[in-house]
Amino acid sequence: MALVEGIRNLKEEKPKIRKKMSKREKKEARWGLLFLSPWMIGFIAFYLLPMIASLVFSLYDFNPAVPDEATFIGFANWRRALFEDQEVRKSFIRTIHFTAISLPITLGFALFVALLMNSKRVIGKNLYRTLFYMPTMIPVVAVVLIWSGVLNEQTGWINIFIEKLTGIQATGTEGIRWLANPKLVYYAYTMFGLWGIGNAMIIFLAGLQGVPTELYEAAEIDGANWLTKLTKITLPLITPVIFYQLVLGLIYSLQYFLAPFVLNSGTGFPEGKTRFYMVYFYKQSFTFFNMGYGATLAWLMFIVALIVTIILFGTARYWVYYEAEDLQ
Amino acid sequence: MKKLWILITIVVIASFALYACDTQAPETPEEEPVAEETTSEEMEEEETEEMEEEEEEAEVEEPGEKVQIRWFVGLGAGSDEPTFEPQNAFVERFNASQDEIELVIEIVDNDVAYDTLATQIAAGNAPDIVGPVGIRGRDSFKGAWMDLTPLIEANDYDLSDFDPNMVQFYQVQEEGQLGIPFAIFPSFVIYNKDLFDEAGAPYPPASYGEPYVDINGEEKPWNIETLTDLAMFLSVDANGNDATMEEFDTENIVQFGWMNQWTDPRGIGTFFGAGSLVDENGDAQIPEQWREAWKWTYDGWWEDWFIPNGVYGGADFLQGPGGPFSSGNLAMIHMHMWYVAPWALGDVPFDWGLAATPAYEGTVTSKMHADTFGIPKGSDHPEEAFQVLTYMLSEEHANELLTIYGGMPARLSLQGDYFEQYEETNFPDKDINWDVVVDSMAYADKPNHESWMPSFQETTDRYNEFWNKLANTPDLDVDAEIEILLQDLQTIFEAAEEIEE
Repeated sequence: MALVEGIRNLKEEKPKIRKKMSKREKKEARWGLLFLSPWMIGFIAFYLLPMIASLVFSLYDFNPAVPDEATFIGFANWRRALFEDQEVRKSFIRTIHFTAISLPITLGFALFVALLMNSKRVIGKNLYRTLFYMPTMIPVVAVVLIWSGVLNEQTGWINIFIEKLTGIQATGTEGIRWLANPKLVYYAYTMFGLWGIGNAMIIFLAGLQGVPTELYEAAEIDGANWLTKLTKITLPLITPVIFYQLVLGLIYSLQYFLAPFVLNSGTGFPEGKTRFYMVYFYKQSFTFFNMGYGATLAWLMFIVALIVTIILFGTARYWVYYEAEDLQ
Repeated sequence: MKKLWILITIVVIASFALYACDTQAPETPEEEPVAEETTSEEMEEEETEEMEEEEEEAEVEEPGEKVQIRWFVGLGAGSDEPTFEPQNAFVERFNASQDEIELVIEIVDNDVAYDTLATQIAAGNAPDIVGPVGIRGRDSFKGAWMDLTPLIEANDYDLSDFDPNMVQFYQVQEEGQLGIPFAIFPSFVIYNKDLFDEAGAPYPPASYGEPYVDINGEEKPWNIETLTDLAMFLSVDANGNDATMEEFDTENIVQFGWMNQWTDPRGIGTFFGAGSLVDENGDAQIPEQWREAWKWTYDGWWEDWFIPNGVYGGADFLQGPGGPFSSGNLAMIHMHMWYVAPWALGDVPFDWGLAATPAYEGTVTSKMHADTFGIPKGSDHPEEAFQVLTYMLSEEHANELLTIYGGMPARLSLQGDYFEQYEETNFPDKDINWDVVVDSMAYADKPNHESWMPSFQETTDRYNEFWNKLANTPDLDVDAEIEILLQDLQTIFEAAEEIEE
């Protein structure tokens, strides 16, 4: 309704916009554009032109090592990506598979920690908040390398700890091979991500602190327990935050690249399981030097991410609760 | 408002126009068949004319201004920190030697060197000299190198001081002479004398054709079977049992007997005989001896336990500055001359020696690495770049670079006292058997294990994936995995052929 009203208002205002500008207004507009121009030039030079260039590249067989031999091949790259190259489909499925494991665990854990940090009963909350946020300050490459040591099948302390605690053989050739076992590798990669939940936790915490306390007080008077309060008050009221985190998390997951690239140079080890879509895109563009085909893959991912985001926004009306809408 | 937009549009169009004027127009595809029909002499003439034109362009420099020649280092040796200073010193000496050319060195870390060079070439900013670069580095940029033949002829450059086979090594069909021999790196066995002494095992043969005398004094031919027995005997678990014993604990190995260190499936395959993944028709193939080499390695990983597999590869006891061998817990490796250098073997706490490569079914194959310097086609100053190249490869100056990179000179006249000097500089307290290095040259692999394949990087990626799977997965049907690899390689080759068409 609000949107319809807004459009109506805009229509009503239309004649005003067409009104001839006075000298002073023109001068102001010129100054405004002048101040905007650095951003506009930056946008054109570093975003728009490269995007157009990559779209053009997608129609070429272009190897940067022999640029003079670039040939126009029409939509051959697109046909290859959509219908012929099985690795595109496989790498996309791997990405979705990993996202399906990683995203709920990461978001769930960030929300869980935020709920703890928001609890009245936790002592030293500021210290914990700092401690949980601190790993976010560490560069992701370092995080990946640290975790690869922690999960080392021979000497990693997680395997040693499991072995000492349970007596199960966790080290050696018969042990738990977190990064080499195709069935475990996505969980291992998810563990890297858990170290970086600081940002998500802070945003969830802000959302939790925005929930009106009178609602909890009223619920307590009605005899609601913590689970009821969580499911009937907290979660519905922070759905905008969950939605925001979900959109960002999904886009981030679709672009997942750094961990597999740092750990095994994008070889896909083990058994191709970590050759995610963006790894494959990188390989095609910068290792195999199929820059034209790489540009096609980049555009394809852009289209997929756009569609996924549109679908998510489409579903938002069914489960995301905006308090402001009710007030209107 | 309208005027402002018009102004912005004009500026954008003008900048496009200026850029377009500055960029070389790509060659039209229609021109290619004409070039194919011309004879090699005509092609050479055309190339010489092209170069003359380029020279004329280059001559439009400001009077008295030096021509800047950019030297790109990173595809092979030369990107390690200890080599920076001596390389810079070499550049300074060159610049001080004459007043027409200014040599500028660009050292790029090996991890990003391929991307950096590709970006520079694509942006029309190609360096003038690239190297040292091996066969692998060269073939990763197929089509990007200049044929040096016209420059060699125009400058009357003398190639008689090089082994003709080594000159031929850099001749690529349909591309020409892409390099002049600079450094060669034969391969051989390097062994840890301390581990042999501890086990009471005699050392492996110091020369080709010599048999191995085992611990019982029995003479055996120095071949893969003898090597396997010896390597198993030198693989030891935490209880002191060796891999030939039934009670050998495969979960607690503390010392291994053998490794083809730092090579790939093609290198390991070549240990059993030279071959190629590409047959004469351009189709994928797996040479029979390579299949055998891969199965032998797989058994060494998971059955006989004398080669560290993927799991043991990450173990602490096998980490050293020069990889597993320099850890002191690996008895023998097969390796190239570039490894016999201070960074790998300078500070190891054990004594080591060099031995002959064992034979497979009566034939010895010692794979060869060779480095050179190339001039990219995009170089603005090929003539000056060639002048720098001749300085680098000259009898007077090649040794300076060879000492930095640890290479054996390709120039026959420099090979005489090279090892004496090298030992004096790098290993003054050791008495090294260099004869085996020289003798290994006679067993170089032809075709070379690093030679060209269709979709070079993609093919490499695929066979490395295959190899990683083998190294990390016990109980595999290796023959079945090889067949899958073969099919995948064929698919990649066919796709590459389609693109070329």
